[in-house]
Amino acid sequence: MESPSTSPDAPRPPLARTVDDRLIAGVCGGLARHLGLPVAWVRVGMAIAVLAGGAGGFFYLFLLVTMPEEGESAEVAPLRRVFTKAAHQPDASGHDAAVPGAEMYNARMPSAGKSSAGMSSAGMSGNETHLTETHGTDETLATSTSTNTNDAADTGTTARRPWPIAEILFGGVFLIAGGALFLRQFGVQLRLEVILPGLAVLVGVGLTWWLIADRARPERLQIPRILGALALVAVGVLMFFVTAEEPSVLTVIGAALAVLAGVALAITPWLLQLNRQLVAERAGRAREAERAEIAAHLHDSVLQTLALIQQRSEPASEVARLARGQERELREWLFRSADGGSAPERETAEAEISSHAATLEAQHPVRFEVVVVGERIIAPDAIISAAKEAMLNAARHAGGEVTVYLETTPDVVRIEVNDRGPGFDPDEIEGERLGVRESIFGRMERAGGSARIAPGPGGTGASVRLEQARPQVHDARDRTEEPS
Amino acid sequence: MTTPVTVVIVDDHEIFRAGLRSSLGETLEVLGEAGTVDEAITLIRSAHPDVVLLDVHLPGGQGGGGAEVARVVSADPECADTRMLALSVSDAADDVVSVIRAGARGYLTKTSSGDEVTKAVHRVHEGDAVFSPRLAGFVLDAFGVGGGETATEDDELDRLSAREQEVMRMIARGYAYKEVAAELFLSVKTVETHVSNVLRKLQLSNRHELTAWALSRRLL
Repeated sequence: MESPSTSPDAPRPPLARTVDDRLIAGVCGGLARHLGLPVAWVRVGMAIAVLAGGAGGFFYLFLLVTMPEEGESAEVAPLRRVFTKAAHQPDASGHDAAVPGAEMYNARMPSAGKSSAGMSSAGMSGNETHLTETHGTDETLATSTSTNTNDAADTGTTARRPWPIAEILFGGVFLIAGGALFLRQFGVQLRLEVILPGLAVLVGVGLTWWLIADRARPERLQIPRILGALALVAVGVLMFFVTAEEPSVLTVIGAALAVLAGVALAITPWLLQLNRQLVAERAGRAREAERAEIAAHLHDSVLQTLALIQQRSEPASEVARLARGQERELREWLFRSADGGSAPERETAEAEISSHAATLEAQHPVRFEVVVVGERIIAPDAIISAAKEAMLNAARHAGGEVTVYLETTPDVVRIEVNDRGPGFDPDEIEGERLGVRESIFGRMERAGGSARIAPGPGGTGASVRLEQARPQVHDARDRTEEPS
Repeated sequence: MTTPVTVVIVDDHEIFRAGLRSSLGETLEVLGEAGTVDEAITLIRSAHPDVVLLDVHLPGGQGGGGAEVARVVSADPECADTRMLALSVSDAADDVVSVIRAGARGYLTKTSSGDEVTKAVHRVHEGDAVFSPRLAGFVLDAFGVGGGETATEDDELDRLSAREQEVMRMIARGYAYKEVAAELFLSVKTVETHVSNVLRKLQLSNRHELTAWALSRRLL
């Protein structure tokens, strides 16, 4: 057991039930650790207080119910210390309150022992002053401990709960019970039929109030607590009337109304909490929607600017090319989802041609317009490669505006690349241009397709027309061989 | 000296409006600008321009954007002479088709130069439709040309006739009207007629693809 720290500068560990060192629930261990006392003393003191008159038992129960377990507060408390810096120190105040509480406790120990010893020895030896003294210490102890447990329990929120209602109610309950027990020792007659139901109602309301106060902690044992609260309230209200002397119509009706009121009172905090959660969720969703809208508007603005840049700059310039590339990317990302469909897979003909166009646009002074008609399919490799070749030629030797037209019918795939450059005569190919003949014509022929080069739109430029039959795969029995 | 064609620019991006205004040719006269659906409708009704340059995405009104403006103006008998030309950053099929079906007579993307926009405005003013290669592609797709559907009668709304398909195909491949005419041995006027017919079919057809697009935009 660690030695108790006596210096006031060392931070006190928060009041929490210990997990490892516990006999029943770690209440004494936690209390000892918080106050800096040896555990054995606390345990002995608690045992004496419980045995003498039972008031200590209520105190133990009070601590048991309100103290959180060690682990829970440990993980959240550091965060709270980060947020609550120099401005207000709930920790310090809590600990400050603990100091007089500790002193009180120390004072109480002997006094409790004395008074209980006095009580047990002779019923009449105690007197009013003794009682008030014990009551006084009991009360301050209860409230200071309640502040402590408030801080310990209030780890998740940002310390803005001025009234620990649940704890006060519990404290009040135990106070009344303890006081009643003390009084009974002196032969004071008490109206138990009023006190006990009153206590039950208080405990019920306190439990349910605790539910809303407990949002910082993870919700455990929620159902039993709710049921317990409801049951207690109902029982308490019922008892009021059952134990009444003269039952009559009025009292019975009164009893029913009281039960309803009691149940309503118990449920209200829970309903409030649900409502709060609902409002928070709705607000969260509204925020999400607004954020998405703002993002869309921002992106739209960017697109506008990029379009403007392209308009105002030379078509072949670096600036225009960069703007075009970015615009294409952004537009694809934005409006592909607006089209209602998911983005096409990488392998469809459209995707391959488009991405190749984007690459070429970044390297050459060219602007591709890709037009797709028909079914979106994964085209045979030969025609795609030939088309990419043709696009590269158009980018290199023509530049400017180039149209790529991709059409898919049930039988054939057609790709046509039209540019408005100087054009070229396939019969006059020489030297390096031999590659064109091989890579485009040769490839298409080998694949069983066809390639034609004709004059482009308006007689200028070039029009490369590729055509290839689609592989017939829907008839499993009669599968034609795929073109190599 | 012919009277300049009057134009109203509708776009919610002020910088773009200013840029477009300065890049339009001298044969056009800009009567005013508007940034929201309601402003646009009010301005068009009061100024009665020949052509409206209409953005697809606009705030205000009932959220229908440019298509909403197009619908209201088309339905208004006082604005019967006003033609609409859509001009947008988006070239998604959704946006293009919905604004055409609402009454626009053409669609250009904003990367077009001021020169191209000016020419398109004149063409729309003269009663023709302006089809970019991409719009032609959408049309071909919507009318199932890829699947081999061809209209057998002239007034069939849900399919394109063979000639119309030919014209659309050429436009989709990048040919201008003149070049289409030269390639198909037709007059430019004939080509323009075919294109206008296609536009009419696009606006009136009840084909599933077109209505589905419209439904997704709640424009039906």
